[in-house]
Amino acid sequence: MRSRLLIFFLVILFALPFGLLGLLAVGEGWRFPDALPPAYSLEPLRGLIAADNGLLAGLGQSLLLAGAVAVLATAGGFVVARAVARSRRPGRWTALSYLPYALPPVLLAVLIQPFIIRMHLSGSVGGVLLGLLLVALPFATLLLSSFWTQRATEYEQLASTLGCTPRQALRWVLLPLAAPLLRTTLVQTFLLGWFDFGLTNVLSVGKVRTLTVQVFTYVGEANGPLAAVASLLLLLPPALLLLANKSALLRKP
Amino acid sequence: MKPLKPLLPLYALLVIGLPLAGLGYALLGSVGVVGPLAEGFTGRYWQALAHDTGLLYAAAFSLWIAVASVGISVVLALALVLRAQPSLRRTPLPGLLYVPLVMPALVMAFYLFQLLSRAGWLSRISFQLGLTGSIEAFPELVQDAAGVGIILAHVLLTFPFLTLLFQAIYQESRLAELSQLTSTLGASAGQFRRRIAAPLLLRRAAPTVLLSFIATLGAYDIPLLLGRPYPQMLSVFIATKLQRFDLRELPAAYLAGFLVAAGLLGLILVLLRLVNRGKVEAG
Repeated sequence: MRSRLLIFFLVILFALPFGLLGLLAVGEGWRFPDALPPAYSLEPLRGLIAADNGLLAGLGQSLLLAGAVAVLATAGGFVVARAVARSRRPGRWTALSYLPYALPPVLLAVLIQPFIIRMHLSGSVGGVLLGLLLVALPFATLLLSSFWTQRATEYEQLASTLGCTPRQALRWVLLPLAAPLLRTTLVQTFLLGWFDFGLTNVLSVGKVRTLTVQVFTYVGEANGPLAAVASLLLLLPPALLLLANKSALLRKP
Repeated sequence: MKPLKPLLPLYALLVIGLPLAGLGYALLGSVGVVGPLAEGFTGRYWQALAHDTGLLYAAAFSLWIAVASVGISVVLALALVLRAQPSLRRTPLPGLLYVPLVMPALVMAFYLFQLLSRAGWLSRISFQLGLTGSIEAFPELVQDAAGVGIILAHVLLTFPFLTLLFQAIYQESRLAELSQLTSTLGASAGQFRRRIAAPLLLRRAAPTVLLSFIATLGAYDIPLLLGRPYPQMLSVFIATKLQRFDLRELPAAYLAGFLVAAGLLGLILVLLRLVNRGKVEAG
């Protein structure tokens, strides 16, 4: 009985956000003190495909940014983690990789902003991408460092002894071995870029309008329905990733 | 794979060099050496720090939010793992706990604002049920002085993650078998939970708990939506100061940014010690 009550409570707790955001998205003229919307309309959802609506563009920009962050950070992290594992002092490099954790993304953005401006990247997708990579690359490096153990080196050497070129060893031995961890890193770094608001907001100076930036803008404009639609769009890719591979969401360096 | 010789220096330059250069820039900005209105070296912004209560309040408020949020999350997660093991193994609970992990902090903040504000859904339901007679009669749960809304948002995001983490450690450490062993030796279930299970779980999860604490201390999205203009959390305080039109405020903002970053770096050093100690203990 206690177990059922607990499950019921948690189902309500975690399902309510989706329900309330859904009602907000389709509710028309929903004001205090109505507990439910007096009318329902699919207008905000239809507006998604309207030419003047920025939501779809925001979705595309968010997907592009988060995707680029995931691919670049995972590929870079794989190579850097190998270099760290084979360096003279791997412990020091690992410790240094924790540095970006010390700084909240928005504070990191504030600190690097003068240099981003000097590089003429302020307000550009490139500037935001660089900022996000400062967080995602060390994260991926730490996550992937667990792959580069003595065992991986031995497999690489064995492949080489059996006549593989370094490229063949990478393609046919190392990448298949690292595939589960690479998938996890891709998912986690994608979410890092997808969820970010603070860093993007500071470095984009209002010009790169990702979905999170749009949610904040709509909330500021008291446009509940569009903020809800943008929020639901934000929940969609992570929910699909959760269905596909939930264990990839939990692992931390 | 061929080794790439300049790779690590390049990595250091990007990932460590750029933030450290930013930290150096903030330090120089706080003594008036760099920045749009730089007039040469001055210590007046550091001296003014003693009279400026804003940063101190922001630090104290952030500390309160982080301690309360992570504290409540740890207690809830421990209670679930130690007292509801059968439920945690039953469908749909394990899958259910993953749901908050897919929620961006900003969406959680927006949802809680819609739920808990005075014109929010709970207030409407309480009005319909006759529990409150007007908007003002509903208690202030978001944008409140104590940061109740901010704490709640962080708890909802953190406690499921910590529960999954504690559960993984519980299974990895074979605590269920250990519980039977201690029971055979005469220990009660409560003694097992207090003296063996909870200390073990907390010790092994300490680095992640500290990481959650640091993340909450520097939170931005949630306090921006659910917080008040005063007191603000540290990240909001610094970002707001830097984005003001009055450029004369920049040195003080750089100073605040420098001090907060230096403080958080100190916390990361503690985290690294914990990680290293864990590795030594694990052999």
